[in-house]
Amino acid sequence: MIGKFALLMALMATVCATGFIHARMPPTTNADRGDAFVPDPAVASVLSLGFDAALADYYWLQAVQAIGGDTRITAELGVHLGKLIDVVTTLDPWVDHPYRFAAVWLTESEENVRQANRLLERGIAHHPNEWRNWFYLGFNQFYYLLENEQAAHSLEQASRLPKAPRYLPRLVARLRSQTADILVAETFLRELIRDTEEESARAEYQNALDEIEIEKKARFLDRAREAFIKLAGRDIMSVDELLAEPHPLLSALPSPEPESLPAALSRGSVWEIDPANERIVSSYYGARYELHFPSREHQRAEQWRAEREGRDSPPSGPGGLDDGES
Amino acid sequence: MKTSVTRIWIIAVNTVREAIRNKLLYTLLFFSVAIIGTAVLIASLSYVEGERIIQDIGLAAIRLFSVGIAIFVGIGLIHGEVDRRTIYTILSKPVSRAEFLLGKFLGLLLTVWLQVILMTVAFVIVTSATGSRIDSGHAAALFLTAMELMVIVALATLFSAFTTPLLAALFTLGVYTLGHLSRDMLALARQAEVEGVKVAATWLYRLLPDLESFNLTIQAVHGLTISPAEIWLPMLYAVGYAIALLFVASFIFQRRDLK
Amino acid sequence: MAGDAREVVQVDSVVKDFRPGFGLRTKRVLHGVSFSVREGEIFGFVGPNGAGKTTTLKVLMGLIKATSGRATILGCDVAQTEFRRHIGFLPENPYFYSFLTAREILNFYAKLSGVPSAGRRDRVDTLLNWVGLEHAADARLRTYSKGMLQRVGVAQALVHNPRVIFLDEPMSGLDPLGRKEIRDVVLRLKREGKTVFMNTHILSDVEMICDRVAIIVDGVIRYQGRIEDFLIEDELWSDVVLSGLSVEATTHIEEAFDARFHGVGERIEIRIRDKDVSAVLQIALAAGAEVISLSQHRVSLETIFIDAVERSEGGGGES
Repeated sequence: MIGKFALLMALMATVCATGFIHARMPPTTNADRGDAFVPDPAVASVLSLGFDAALADYYWLQAVQAIGGDTRITAELGVHLGKLIDVVTTLDPWVDHPYRFAAVWLTESEENVRQANRLLERGIAHHPNEWRNWFYLGFNQFYYLLENEQAAHSLEQASRLPKAPRYLPRLVARLRSQTADILVAETFLRELIRDTEEESARAEYQNALDEIEIEKKARFLDRAREAFIKLAGRDIMSVDELLAEPHPLLSALPSPEPESLPAALSRGSVWEIDPANERIVSSYYGARYELHFPSREHQRAEQWRAEREGRDSPPSGPGGLDDGES
Repeated sequence: MKTSVTRIWIIAVNTVREAIRNKLLYTLLFFSVAIIGTAVLIASLSYVEGERIIQDIGLAAIRLFSVGIAIFVGIGLIHGEVDRRTIYTILSKPVSRAEFLLGKFLGLLLTVWLQVILMTVAFVIVTSATGSRIDSGHAAALFLTAMELMVIVALATLFSAFTTPLLAALFTLGVYTLGHLSRDMLALARQAEVEGVKVAATWLYRLLPDLESFNLTIQAVHGLTISPAEIWLPMLYAVGYAIALLFVASFIFQRRDLK
Repeated sequence: MAGDAREVVQVDSVVKDFRPGFGLRTKRVLHGVSFSVREGEIFGFVGPNGAGKTTTLKVLMGLIKATSGRATILGCDVAQTEFRRHIGFLPENPYFYSFLTAREILNFYAKLSGVPSAGRRDRVDTLLNWVGLEHAADARLRTYSKGMLQRVGVAQALVHNPRVIFLDEPMSGLDPLGRKEIRDVVLRLKREGKTVFMNTHILSDVEMICDRVAIIVDGVIRYQGRIEDFLIEDELWSDVVLSGLSVEATTHIEEAFDARFHGVGERIEIRIRDKDVSAVLQIALAAGAEVISLSQHRVSLETIFIDAVERSEGGGGES
């Protein structure tokens, strides 16, 4: 009897000790290692041994896991995701969503965007009737690469396909007329939000839309300021002067915070004049951009273009990449 | 000729009867059905295209496990009979070795096909439960899987006709692997600069079973158009290839001393 | 057919070489084996382990191919298959598909042998009854004991009512009762006019039931013929047991007579021919030896067998 009890205790002790040891082993997964091994697409396709569809799913799930939670999207992660989606779409080029997944997440460097565009082109080849791949390609060309002519071409292709939204021809016309501005970007972004099911991607687009919203308000205030100068013959000392006598140009200031921001998260931001360049800024973002539409992506885009055109040209515009990522 | 077919059939039926009472088979079947079932969980990791992933995994599981059954049950096929001397009594009856070999081949093939049917039932249940589409493309993919299995079972029969189970398993797995690479051999042949490599790669492409031709998974899952030639050409190819393998297997087996 | 027209098994100068490894080196296990089995007889094929009994039987069953020579059963070359519906084979320690039942396996063999479906069920039942397995007929064979498997083996060898039955070590691993049952089966087959070929090393069984034997040692047939012929082949022998036989007398007897000595020291057993008994006894008594016993030796198959093996070993040593 005692023998049986002792054996039972010994078993319990062993189980507990094993569990204790296991709890001390770091539960590292491939995704945690970040730069997880991704095979060359050609190699993966050769070694799939007929299980290419399932293997494509495997790498697709890795890609999904890699951006899960609050993972910060960096250019390095973008490269990693690009490799994964390249493998996925080499193994099974008829997958649909992964092409646009790449377009959403591969935005942190020009190399990322170019890779996303290559993948989108593969998607276009295998889904010739899918307007969204052309649309994302056009967006990337316009928004990140400032290649308006190519963007117009892509959107034109998209507009001819079934289910394409009706406003696309108007976008094409705007792009062609060289008046591309934040309104084009806004249209794009609203369409992307409508098209995207994934929460974190929608949030990204919403952030970009928020910036556009604030910039639109700031431009409105700029116009009020110009009117004030004409009337008063002097500049405003503070933004509030636009409301005050003797020249109450506005009855109220627009909210300096994005409308999508819940009241509980309000930072109590205000409109102020940036002492560095005398421009009206919302303290919510703390900066305006001199570019013709405000987005840190756009600054980067200008920078990438500058780098393309001549490696010795300085990055254009204040801020720049470091500022954008801070 | 008629009696020969009868004897082959008797051995085949007996092989199936023996095989379906083997617990190993049920274990493998259980795992394959379990994997088809867990495909739902795996697919939930992806926020899009879950139905497609379920189908990918389901069809892959069917192929993986049926190939596994074909190889690991098939390789013991002839060797087990010699090893356990069950073959002695069979060959003492009016049965030629070729008939014996063909009977074992047919029996194993029927067993594996039966497994495919059972796994397909599980697949259909899981896929329809998740509300995705099943159509003739899936039927075509599963049919070509059955054709691929014919070639693999013939390979297992060939190798088990003259070598030990371990070597037979390695050979069959090896040819299975190379068979899926045979089209890459052709690509290699086209790119190769050296004439010798070109010739060798071309002949490898011609001789190895072109197993990729039986893979319609992607077409089925994406509902792509499958032309009739994509079905009947691989079917004839499989039948021809299997017959050739069985000829070689009988030739070798007839000359073998059963010590 | 030459000679006795009723020879159902003929083995003519069969040579078998095996290749033990991967090399070209071969090992000869059958050195021109020749013998024949006549219709209706029980033929014992006897030899020590490794002598080539099973190899010979495998050649006859077409399981291995003779390097040279010819073997026929019922006038057909053993490489053919159709004649096999007339033969039955019980391998040594038979093993069957373990997931099938005795009834299923017998049905399977009956079908393979072309037993028409009309009488098949009855035939299987008869056989199950005959080998005493009717109570276990529907149990899977993996639950069977060795003795029960042996019975299944016998039943499958007979299920198609063959004319010639080949048994490889049918008694091995059986208890005395089981051995008697097998003997009864064999004798019953003989009564039914069947021919039985039996590989064995259990000599008493052979003596009891076989009509003719062949003795094979190291792949060579040493004796072949009727049991009775062996027993009266030469004159009869006697065993003389002596004590106190001097060395000189021993040498004398050894040189003068065909004698075989056993034993050491005081007590010596000498086997001599009957006709030499008085002469040997005279020499022994003259040399002061004492006769302890004198008995006529009953020549058994064992004697012949041991003789054959010893000669073979002697011959092997000289060459």
